[in-house]
Amino acid sequence: MSNRIALLGNPNTGKSSLFNRLCGLRSKTANFPGSTIEHQVGTCSVPSGPELTIIDLPGIYSLRLELPESKVCADCLDGKIGDGRPDAALVVVDANNLPRNLQFAASAMRRGLPTVIAVNMIDLAQRRGFQIDAAHTSRLLGVPVVPVSARTGSGIDALKAALAATVLSQAKPAPQIELPDGEPGSAPSVRWAASVLDAIAAGSAPREDDTQLHDRLDWAFTHPRLGILLFAAVMSLLFAAIFWFAQYPMEWVDMLFATLGGFTERVLPSGILRDLIVFGVIGGVAATVVFLPQILLLFFLLALLEDSGYLARAAFAIDRIMRRFGLPGQAFMPLLSAHACALPAVMATRLIPSRRDRIATIMAIPFMSCSARVPVYALLTTLLFVGRPWAAGVAFIGCYALGAIAGIATAALVGRSVLRGSPPPMLLELPAYRLPNILQAVRIAFDRGWLFLRNAGSVILAIAVVMWWLSAYPLVPPPESATALRAQAAQIIQRDAATAEALDTQAARIEQQAQQAGSFSGKVGSALEPIFAPIGLDRQLTVAVITSFLAREVFTTTVFVLTGAGSDAEGNESTTLDVVRSAKRDDGTPLFSTATSASLLVFFVLALQCLPTVAVVARETGSWTWAIGQLAFMSVTAYLLALVTYRLLS
Amino acid sequence: MAAERIAVETQSQYHGTVERPPVRIPLNQLARGQRATVECSALDALPETERCLLAAMGLGERCEVRVCKPGTPCIIQVDQARLGLPNEIAARIMVTPVPPEQP
Repeated sequence: MSNRIALLGNPNTGKSSLFNRLCGLRSKTANFPGSTIEHQVGTCSVPSGPELTIIDLPGIYSLRLELPESKVCADCLDGKIGDGRPDAALVVVDANNLPRNLQFAASAMRRGLPTVIAVNMIDLAQRRGFQIDAAHTSRLLGVPVVPVSARTGSGIDALKAALAATVLSQAKPAPQIELPDGEPGSAPSVRWAASVLDAIAAGSAPREDDTQLHDRLDWAFTHPRLGILLFAAVMSLLFAAIFWFAQYPMEWVDMLFATLGGFTERVLPSGILRDLIVFGVIGGVAATVVFLPQILLLFFLLALLEDSGYLARAAFAIDRIMRRFGLPGQAFMPLLSAHACALPAVMATRLIPSRRDRIATIMAIPFMSCSARVPVYALLTTLLFVGRPWAAGVAFIGCYALGAIAGIATAALVGRSVLRGSPPPMLLELPAYRLPNILQAVRIAFDRGWLFLRNAGSVILAIAVVMWWLSAYPLVPPPESATALRAQAAQIIQRDAATAEALDTQAARIEQQAQQAGSFSGKVGSALEPIFAPIGLDRQLTVAVITSFLAREVFTTTVFVLTGAGSDAEGNESTTLDVVRSAKRDDGTPLFSTATSASLLVFFVLALQCLPTVAVVARETGSWTWAIGQLAFMSVTAYLLALVTYRLLS
Repeated sequence: MAAERIAVETQSQYHGTVERPPVRIPLNQLARGQRATVECSALDALPETERCLLAAMGLGERCEVRVCKPGTPCIIQVDQARLGLPNEIAARIMVTPVPPEQP
């Protein structure tokens, strides 16, 4: 990469909007080596000029603060990380808040890189009566100063030209007013900014509009009771929208993969390659990618809320509750979204600035009852409370409550032991209220979706293939009973096709059951049976629990297959449920006793049976230690509480 | 700290004006809409991390703040930026109230 330009500025200066204006869709998200702090890298074309590579760094208030974001920005400017020192710096300042922003620009200029200053949101400032003489300011600061509006696009061509010229000339900043020694906020820095402002815009300071209205909105959104009520209402609408709108595209994705699987099955000759592609690759990836619409919608709506200025206020409203459990206010959103799927929820913790708080939140997320647990809850509560739907409903809600309590308790425990300390006090700049930028929200949603897909295409795909292989091999010869049934079906197919088909289906189930028992995962189930026996599981249920580590909902499918009840994972058909209910173990006792069903329910509420989540946690925390530690902690907790439940009820 | 000449209404009628240091109060004791100035030692009671962050966010020396909402969070306006602070932080920031402008 050449002509690299580091884009930096204070938070809420419209930096990301400007990046989007400069680079369009030609960008990608990346992390610096050894860091989970992400940045965007994009390409900017300049008419009759060189192509520029823009590195969008996180918004910071100073390059010298003891914060990871500040350190990443400083290291990038100094060439300690990334591909060496950038060729230039583009500092974005907010025209409506020049005193503070100019101080930051001065600290960036002191790094000695060729610098361009973009005075953003100039349209808003001009409406408020603020004028800036760009040429005069450029001479004063010794760097090109370009007024722009990332929102409308005005000044963008001039900015591109200034960037190209600066990169080519490599002219260092040559300010007429000597740059201050101190960092932003220090006395010399404050005095320097005041003298610059006196020289460029004396007597024309911007005035704020709508002060009273904004004060009232701030009061309502951060009020201890009203703020929480409003937040609950907004979140209810958000999640209702996600569940309602996402269900259709989810069905389409499901159908797409089913069609693709069917087509592949027809086209390829039968054998290991076909099975691998159809059941391992397509089937495994489909189980994860089906959640893509939820993820896109969640991040799109969150981006709208964040851009409107509401989310920062809501974080304050909820902060006083979350803090009691050692979590910051910003943790509420990911915890809530975890009820849809833990994967986007873990990714949404990027909204939380402190690493300590981010990890504490990630430790709590997988305890929240995600949508993949719903079929399992439905099956087990129905088995527990036969003919008592109200009791099954109460148990269903109890599962959600148990998961939430366990998650919050875990966060408190981790926060007070491994991570130590309490969340730092929440100091936030509250961005101005404004109409959200829909294009930017779309971009953020696609960015997050792409990240998710990349994960699905690498780690999750590998896990899916391995799990499929373990359950499909070695091939087990058909049992004699199945062979006999097929022979019987072949004899009667001419005169009674329906009965022949039923016999074939029955034979297929027996073969599947034998394959499950004889496969590697089945053997693992047999080997692990002594471990799971204390919580009431036999070999079949152990296999079902082991396979559910691929994805929880696999449990119901496995149970139906193993018991020969078909594959109705929803469990709606009474005859299917009757078969499951009356299924026996090898010793003739019921497969699902009350104690076993309750123990399994507790296990599923608390266990982390989702390897994709483990992979995403490892990536987001930047360490496999956290991911494996979480898997171990949740598994042991689930096992112990399931054991207590089983002992109490058996 | 620089002293300020102020008129003392009760005794100044007889003794003229007296020198008295400006009254400094915690930020969280200001009412909604009230303005105050921040002096150089205003943030001294805070831990260094918070002090540096607040200074970089604009709550630096000699700046003027306006309280948009008292309580928790305490929302203040510094220039055109609004900052939200927990009450316990606001209680440790000493400011000098600006007398309301006479109509």
